[in-house]
Amino acid sequence: MKRLVAASSVIAFLLLSNANFVRSQNGASANRALSVNPPTLTLPNKADSVLFAVIGDTGTGSAQQRELAEVMRQYHSIFKFESVLMMGDNIYGGEDPKDYEAKFAEPYKDLLSAGVKFYASLGNHDNTNQRSYKNFNMDGKEYYTFKKGPVRFFALNSNYMDQRQTKWLEEELKSSGSDWKICFFHHPPYSSGAMHGPSIELRKILEPLFIKYGVDVAFTGHEHIYERIKPQHGVYYFISGGGGKLRLDGVKQTEQTAKSFDKEQHFMLIEIAGNQMHFQVISRTGKTIDSGALPRLEKDRG
Amino acid sequence: MAPGLPLYTGVKKEFIHRAGFNPAVRLASSSVLLLLTISVLSPADLASAQSQDAAATQAQDAAAAQAIAAFNDRVNQYIKLRKKAEGLPSKLSKKSQPEQIDANLAALQASISSARVGAKPGDIFAPDIAKVIRRAIRQEFRGERLRKLRETIREADAKGVPMRANVSYPETKELIEMPPTLLLRLPVLPKELQYRFVGGYLLLLDKEARMIVDFMAGAVPRTTTSKR
Repeated sequence: MKRLVAASSVIAFLLLSNANFVRSQNGASANRALSVNPPTLTLPNKADSVLFAVIGDTGTGSAQQRELAEVMRQYHSIFKFESVLMMGDNIYGGEDPKDYEAKFAEPYKDLLSAGVKFYASLGNHDNTNQRSYKNFNMDGKEYYTFKKGPVRFFALNSNYMDQRQTKWLEEELKSSGSDWKICFFHHPPYSSGAMHGPSIELRKILEPLFIKYGVDVAFTGHEHIYERIKPQHGVYYFISGGGGKLRLDGVKQTEQTAKSFDKEQHFMLIEIAGNQMHFQVISRTGKTIDSGALPRLEKDRG
Repeated sequence: MAPGLPLYTGVKKEFIHRAGFNPAVRLASSSVLLLLTISVLSPADLASAQSQDAAATQAQDAAAAQAIAAFNDRVNQYIKLRKKAEGLPSKLSKKSQPEQIDANLAALQASISSARVGAKPGDIFAPDIAKVIRRAIRQEFRGERLRKLRETIREADAKGVPMRANVSYPETKELIEMPPTLLLRLPVLPKELQYRFVGGYLLLLDKEARMIVDFMAGAVPRTTTSKR
């Protein structure tokens, strides 16, 4: 009997200790260990660069979100990004305190403890009151701006782009001088995603402002995929909407697609160094799925 | 949820393309009728018809201006009532914890709900402003854009949203993005309020309290093409 109890205990211990590594695509247990490639940086990682990460559509609380957060933590150990831009859908479903914990604070606890600041924008699944959440650094606002070195960031609320917001954006862009101008928001003006496609109504309002005031880059989410769009009227557009949710085979390639990925969750690492924006996109299993350096395009900067 | 409470339950009858409707036949017959009408009218008749049209447009604009002014008054009354509601929580700090956000939302909803007991549909979206809004939406969205708008609304996870004034919008349901070009056409709202679509309805939403202040039916026009 003693032997039986001891053998059962050993088996139970082995099963429990292995449980964190054995998960299927849908979060259920499966007989497949997650094999993660060691972090390998393709970015220059210069001392005076502005470093940040980009994630979108994260707030599921799923095993995949946590696994991706772990890969982010590993990369943070070799690439000290000080901020993370969030593309919205930060918390899916309920928004009780336990949801904030399970779908945000717990998955990113190591990065938060390391002093990394998350800057959120709002998606269609987010309650507007997230703007007051301490760890989203939104300053109590649905749209806001902040500066890191030579880069000016604009977090927009693409759920409700009314006259008040467009007027604010125009004034802020106008006064941002020669800084790099990076906008981030939920709905993509350009997209080859099979689920939603481009937000053309939003593009009609934002694109003229982006062109007029020399916006360099726009990061978005909503489609649960990664897509780098070919430059449109002097603006680089990215979709990074697979930080928790994933739409497998969710891209229908179009002539606007420069690169896409829809097989795993992913996040982006960005380095602004002088007039270059370097980027590296990493999947949940640690594979680099896109990388490169984009020159800042010449344009009238308002 | 109270039994018999109206809910948005997904695909509605108004979203279904009408069987037997042929746009090409309708266009052809309308064109023939128009040509016949023009051929029997004298220049004097035409001038008189044009002046009647101008007068009708002017009257319509005046009625719209009046409806918008009255709507703005009702909206402002709501904002005043909201500010004076009993038991209002203090403003959230910019560095709140989830527990504070949760408690604040519950207190805000309770406070507004009590202050507006007896609120009913049409209190703010009165028939005159509903007509103006329907016209603005119709003018803004036609053809492919209308089809796309309806598709976005239909695909949203908003089934089960109660269609009742002065109730909370379920936390687990998404809020569809509003087309910015339409917002340019609709009466401007104070920062506390937003317009939102759910199914064929247009909602007036208190965004901070996440409450349905009022709603109007038949806001999204039917499409006349069914491309997919």
